[in-house]
Amino acid sequence: MKPKADNGPGCIEAGILENALVMIAVLGKNGKVLAWNHAAETITGYARDDVVGNTGVWKKMYPEKQYRNNVTRRIAGILAEKNFFEGLETTITTRTGGKKTILWNTKETQTQSGPVVVAVGQDITQLRELDAFRTSVAENANVLIAVLGKKGEVLLWNRAAEEITGYSREEAAGPGDIWKRLYPDPEYRKKITGQITGIIAENEFFENLETTITTKGGDTRIISWNTRQISGEDGGHSIAIGRDITEQKKAEEALIAYMSEMAMRIRQPVGIIRDNLKDIARLTRDKKVSGDEIAMLLDAQIRNATQVEANVQEFQKAVLEKNREIPDAYRKFLGG
Amino acid sequence: MPKIVSPDELAKKEIFLVLATPATIRQRNIDLIKEISGLGYHTIVITTNFPYAILSKLYAEQGIDPAKVSFIDTVTRNSLGSAENIPGVVRFINNPANLTDMGIAVTEVLKEHSGQKVCILYDSISTMLIYLSSPNISKFIHFVTNKLRLMDISGIFLAVEKGLDPMLMTQLTTFVDSVIDTG
Repeated sequence: MKPKADNGPGCIEAGILENALVMIAVLGKNGKVLAWNHAAETITGYARDDVVGNTGVWKKMYPEKQYRNNVTRRIAGILAEKNFFEGLETTITTRTGGKKTILWNTKETQTQSGPVVVAVGQDITQLRELDAFRTSVAENANVLIAVLGKKGEVLLWNRAAEEITGYSREEAAGPGDIWKRLYPDPEYRKKITGQITGIIAENEFFENLETTITTKGGDTRIISWNTRQISGEDGGHSIAIGRDITEQKKAEEALIAYMSEMAMRIRQPVGIIRDNLKDIARLTRDKKVSGDEIAMLLDAQIRNATQVEANVQEFQKAVLEKNREIPDAYRKFLGG
Repeated sequence: MPKIVSPDELAKKEIFLVLATPATIRQRNIDLIKEISGLGYHTIVITTNFPYAILSKLYAEQGIDPAKVSFIDTVTRNSLGSAENIPGVVRFINNPANLTDMGIAVTEVLKEHSGQKVCILYDSISTMLIYLSSPNISKFIHFVTNKLRLMDISGIFLAVEKGLDPMLMTQLTTFVDSVIDTG
């Protein structure tokens, strides 16, 4: 936009418009471009001299007829109600064929030669790409991610959250408290709420808090929660990340159960055999048992020992089955 | 020596889990038989550790009337290959893991002594754990305790203290009326 000394914007205004970091186009009747600033040239790739004085740039920036008609309809719809629009987002095609997302704001203003529209376009391509990236990360994460408002209302509910809980994002964000559905037992809910309130009062976040949720299908899942406060438009948002540790917990419990079973069936029996042998030795020394009886007593202990050995082998086999990474040499040894 | 089980509770046909250290469990077996016999009960000993021939000898040494004790022996046949049952005295089972045979033996021995003051002494849960998983033991003890309650008979299960995992211990505790830790 070249500053003019007479009947145009003043030098200062012209300078501001020219050097603004947003694209500015002044449009006359039927969208004819009257002014096209440097940022507009940079963003679109179309030079001022090619654009000013005609309407052809719009066709170039929206080359796809269907999309162009769609944008035109949206603009016409807005302008039917008011003579400006705010926050209209469109995707333009640049001179080199690239795509950019522009956030448009317009304002009608009067000049000596009649009404003109000042259109301000902000290039938000990177912002949208970042948003898309964030959304994609949240969507594709294999952990439950929920962004919560001040009152715990759900603002974001990712795909993993839907899969784990069974509740769709519409159900989670819709009317009715999702947390009441996830914690249907009032007493348990009260306990959890108390825990969370206590932790938040101290730290404003919590880490690895384990709770048991009830899914839409009625199953229970154990979730390990981590939260952080994040800034929102009105502040006070928090992000809750929940890891489904149900299977891990089951595996841990199974391991503990298995280990204690083995302790009962290996460690303790060795002690029993030892004490039995002590008794047999004592009875033998005291000559309270005959040779046949000693043999019988020892036979019983041999049988016990044989069974303990079988139990150890069973344990080793179970370890081998659970741990595929054990090297072959050890696998062979443990497999007996 | 103070009584291990209360005569009143025994009279009420209660069921006990008696815990003892590995070093004292054999003596607890003898102490219990002495006590129970002294109260006029006939004791049926289910032995999984020492053969009936040895146990009866040890009991006799301690002044226990052999007529007041009979056995279900899971040890002898395994050693000798064969052993004939002696009605009213002993029934032999091939293997302590054979719970079906043991269940049948318990039922039949209890029938033999129906009408008498009878108490069953199971020696021991700890030895059974060599041969059976804890869920199977739990099921078997449940079966036996149910049978005892139906037949209105008292019973004692011996186990090595600290030898049962918390889950099995909890289950056994629900099957019996009291747990007595003799230390």
